[in-house]
Order: sequence, then structure tokens, then C-alpha cells
Amino acid sequence: MSPKAIPVWDLWPGELTWQPMSPRLRTVWVLRSLINVFLLAVAAAVPLTIWLGWEGPLWALGGYAVLAGLRAWTVSRTVATWGFAEREEDLLVRHGLLTRRLSIVPYGRIQLIDLSAGPIERMFGLTTLQVRTAALGSTTEVPGLDPAAASALRDRLAVRAAEVREGL
Amino acid sequence: MSDEPAPPLAEAPYGPAPADPAPSAPPAGVQRQRLHPLTPLLESFRFLTAAVAAAGIQAFTSRNFLFAIYIALGAAVVGGIASLIALQYRGFVIWGRELHIYGGVFTRSHRTVPLDRLQSVDLARPIRARLFGLAQLNIEVAGGDGTDAKLAYLKADRALELRAELLAIAGRPAAAPQEPAGADEAVPERDAGLLVPQVTVKRLALASLLEALPVQITAVAVFGTAFAVTGSIFGFSTVATTLWVGFFAPALLGYLQSTVAMVNRFLRNGRFRIGRDGPNLLVQRGLTDTSHETVPVDRVTGVSFDEPVLWRSRRWRRVEVWTAAVAQQSASAVKSVTALPVGGPEEVAVVAAAAVPDLPSVFETARPPARARWRMPLRWKRTGAALTDRAFVVRHGLWVNTHVALPYARIQSVKVTQGRVQRMQGLATVRALAAGGLGHDAVALHRDAREAVAMAAELRERADAAAALERPRLS
Repeated sequence: MSPKAIPVWDLWPGELTWQPMSPRLRTVWVLRSLINVFLLAVAAAVPLTIWLGWEGPLWALGGYAVLAGLRAWTVSRTVATWGFAEREEDLLVRHGLLTRRLSIVPYGRIQLIDLSAGPIERMFGLTTLQVRTAALGSTTEVPGLDPAAASALRDRLAVRAAEVREGL
Repeated sequence: MSDEPAPPLAEAPYGPAPADPAPSAPPAGVQRQRLHPLTPLLESFRFLTAAVAAAGIQAFTSRNFLFAIYIALGAAVVGGIASLIALQYRGFVIWGRELHIYGGVFTRSHRTVPLDRLQSVDLARPIRARLFGLAQLNIEVAGGDGTDAKLAYLKADRALELRAELLAIAGRPAAAPQEPAGADEAVPERDAGLLVPQVTVKRLALASLLEALPVQITAVAVFGTAFAVTGSIFGFSTVATTLWVGFFAPALLGYLQSTVAMVNRFLRNGRFRIGRDGPNLLVQRGLTDTSHETVPVDRVTGVSFDEPVLWRSRRWRRVEVWTAAVAQQSASAVKSVTALPVGGPEEVAVVAAAAVPDLPSVFETARPPARARWRMPLRWKRTGAALTDRAFVVRHGLWVNTHVALPYARIQSVKVTQGRVQRMQGLATVRALAAGGLGHDAVALHRDAREAVAMAAELRERADAAAALERPRLS
């Protein structure tokens, strides 16, 4: 790995213990991307059938296999980049495969903490935590937590947010 | 509601009758205070001018004066009746510690403004209102969404009276008689109590012109050469007709619009006065439409210093102040208030220090590494970032070079992003977000990746240190 390929978050001065997301998150996201690509394939199959006759669905199927494989591969690699770290005063969240993103949310600025779970996530017992500050467009997401871990994290955040209350 | 006989429900299902202190709504019989009868006329001012213009054009082109008169009469009758009806339903009541504003004919609206949480009452006088000696009151309250209520229009002296009344109820007696109308009379002591002397019309006009000039010259040059080049290839006669419509007219329109914007800005910032009143900055401005704004200093989230290209040799700059009104939800109201439309180095320094205590106005920023230069060949020289004592300062922009200073105590969260090309170059972008809307953040573009992450970590530390020094403000 060349020095320039080091993810930006690994350059953080000082020690950070990154906590990974639940291993089931990869399953969920791969499944979700497969479903999305499948819907695309179904939508593409109709004109292909009209155009090519009975070969159309086969083409759609082939395209689906290739695209889904690629998508699943990137998604599973992307999932591995997600992580969060709790520090004394702030929460760090990192993610991104091509574009690397590192968000730092101070506990004292947290305005809202949301827990949410979609149908597929619920099937696998996962919860997404969202943290909002007063800045617009600064919603920070921590996906793929166990429900118990998520509510524990929420409680910790809420307690810390109440302790170190800072204004706007 | 309450004047109908009560339906036979339980007498008092919730215990004793609600005879408690703050009744939530005034009883129906209370006399509402009316707005000025000319209000609907002024509100449909644009429509009215359009109608008049249409009638005028009609009269001139077809010489059909009778038709124009019919239009005018029809508009007058319809407008008059509509406004009479509308006025019946509009009004306001000061009831206890609340202001109730009623409106709407088909959809009734009733807005309750809790005066305890009054932030500011600003007096604005658009030109159409000034023509008739009227004014409007903009009332801002802390908490909740859409908290700006408007009372339009009232007689100017009645508006001032009401403003004092509202502020008195809110427990904040109107500080210093601020009468925008008094600006003309009080000429001898007009600079008294101001932070910087009133901006002279000459300087403001020159500044507006210099700011708009580069854009206009470029536009004209680009379209002029395009016209000349295509003309010399295809011949002017054929080109002239097709191009005039498709190409040149939009350019002309843009040019016109830029001119209008320039004039507008000039009119808006004319007679600009900024003063200080305890914890607030008071801004009065406007040549035709006078307005009057209050900026609470402890809500200032950032200060930006703009320097258009042609101002550079004169060392003029414009100062804008960002304030976050309220941010309960992500939809918070952010305002940029011009704190100084144009000023020399000393005036800029005074205003900057008034907006954020101890904020310097001249910053030394470090440029991004040289390997980022090809990504922004022209802007590179004028881009930078710095961690100063009080604030995170970033600099960007070519036509208008802007320094943004975000006090550490106002930084909400910090983000580091690294795009794919940036990753190959070992660069990253740091973004410090302040409370409020999009675009109100400080972005340090294309820093060295290691430096960027260190900067983010440092920003967080300084933000905590700065925030610990002040008492928490929850709104």
C-alpha cells in the first residue's frame, strides 16, 4: 500500500479505537443492492423483450448477473470502510470507498438522536442511528448496529450530550 | 366559536374552568386592531403596476383609450371590493403577553406570537409603503419554525409606537429611540452612536460599480467576441437575425439583470448606519426602502469579508455577519446581514471586532500545497486556511475573494472528505459547519491529507476549549 493510499482517517493524530459495524450489515446491504439491481433488470427486460423477442429476458438476466456481482463486490468493500469511534468529547464516524469521509460530532452539539430500522434491516436485527446537530446537512449516520448496542450508544450519547451542553 | 351556545357536553370535564392566568386566545368579542386600509393595495402593488403598464401599452399601441379606461376601472372596482372584504378579516390583538394576528378570507389564519420569547422587532419601510407614510413590523421570536410574523402595513408613527409597546411587554424597553425616519432630521449628530461613520453615497456608488464591472465586462467581451467570430465566418446579415434572438438577447438580459442587481444593492445599502446597543448591533439602511435590523452579537456564528477584484487596490472590503436564529430542527433560519457594505481597513476592523469580540480583520492564511495548484490554477493563490486565536479562517474565491471567520465556539461539527482524485494526490478538504443553513460553513479546500486531519482534530479541541469558556445558550 503506497503512502498515498492510506485512508484519511488513519492519519488521525493520536490513538483511536474504531468499532466496526455488525457483520450482518454486509448481508443486508448486499441484499438491498441485489434487490435494487433486480428492479432495474425487470424494468430493462420489458423493452428488451419487445426488441429482441424471447432472447430479451436472457440478456436482462445476464446483465443482472454481471451488474449484481459488481455491485455486491463494491458494496461489501464499502461496508468494511464504515466504523465509528467514541472519544471523550466527540463521536467520529468514517466511511467511503472512493470518496473517504470522516465526520466528527461533538457530544455537546447534538440536537437529536434518531434510531430507525427498515424492513430488511429489521429482518436481520439491525438498527441505524442518526445524530443531528444544528448545522444543516450535518446528519451523521451510524448504520448496522445491534438494537441493544444502538440503544446503549444512544443512551451514552444522550447522557454525554446533556452533560456537555453547548449552544449554537 | 365561543359565542355559540355550548354543546351539551360535560360541564367542566377537566376540572375547574380555565380561568387561569394566560388565556390562550382572546375572546371573540375583543376589538381587533386594524391594519391600514391601503394594505391590500400595497400588497398587490406589483400586480397593480403590471395592470397599469398593460393598460398603458394597450392604449398606446391600439389607440384604444376607452379599453384602457375600462381595464383601470375594472381593476379599481374589483381590487377595492376585494380589499374591503379582506380587511374585515385582518387585524391583530395584544392579549396578555401574546400577540394574536388574524388573516385570510377563505383560509383563516390565526397566529399566536408569545411575546416572552420575542427576539427582535424590526421596522421596514419599502418604497411603496413610504409613498403613503406607512411601515411594516417584522417580529422575530425564538423557538419553533416559521417564527417570523409580519404586521403590514401600519402608519409609520403607529408602527413605532407598537414596536415600543411590544418590546415593553417582552420586558425589554426599546433601547435608544431608533427612528429610521429620523435619519433625515438628525443630520448634525447623525454619526453619533455609530460604530463607523455613515457610508457616503459616493463611495457606495463607486464600490457597487467596481463590483459589478468585471462581470459585466466579461459578459460583454465573451458575447461580443462570439458575435464577431461567428459573424465573420457566416456573414453578419444572416447571423444577425438568428443570433440576435437566440444568443445575444439572453446575454443582454443577463447584463441587464446584473445592472438591476447592482442598482438594487446600492439602493438597499444607501445611508448605511451600524450602531451598537448593548448586546445587539443595530443596522439601519436603505435609500428608497428603509429597513432596520437587529443582530444579537451572541448569536453571530460567522463573519465573512468579501473583497471584489477591483476593490483590492483601494483596500476596501465588505463585512457580512451570519446569525443563526433558531435551530431546533434541521430547518433553521440563517441570515446573512451586511454589517458594512464597503469600508476601508480601519472601519472593517471596528465592525469585525464589534461582531465577534477580539476578532481581527486581517488574516494570514496558508495556501494549499503546490500540488493542488493545477486543480485551481487561478484561485490557488487566493485560497487558504488558518487557525487563528479566535476563529477558524478560510479564504477562497477569484472574482470576489472572501475570508470566512468562524469563531471556534460556534463550530458545530467538523468533516474531512477526500475525493478520489484528492486521494491520489494526498489531499483532503476540511469543512467546519456552523449552525444553520447550507453554505454557511468554512471550507478549507485541498489541504495536505495529514495536515487536514490534524486540523480537524485541532479544531475540535479548540472548539471545546472555547465553548467551555462561555455559558451554554440553548437557543
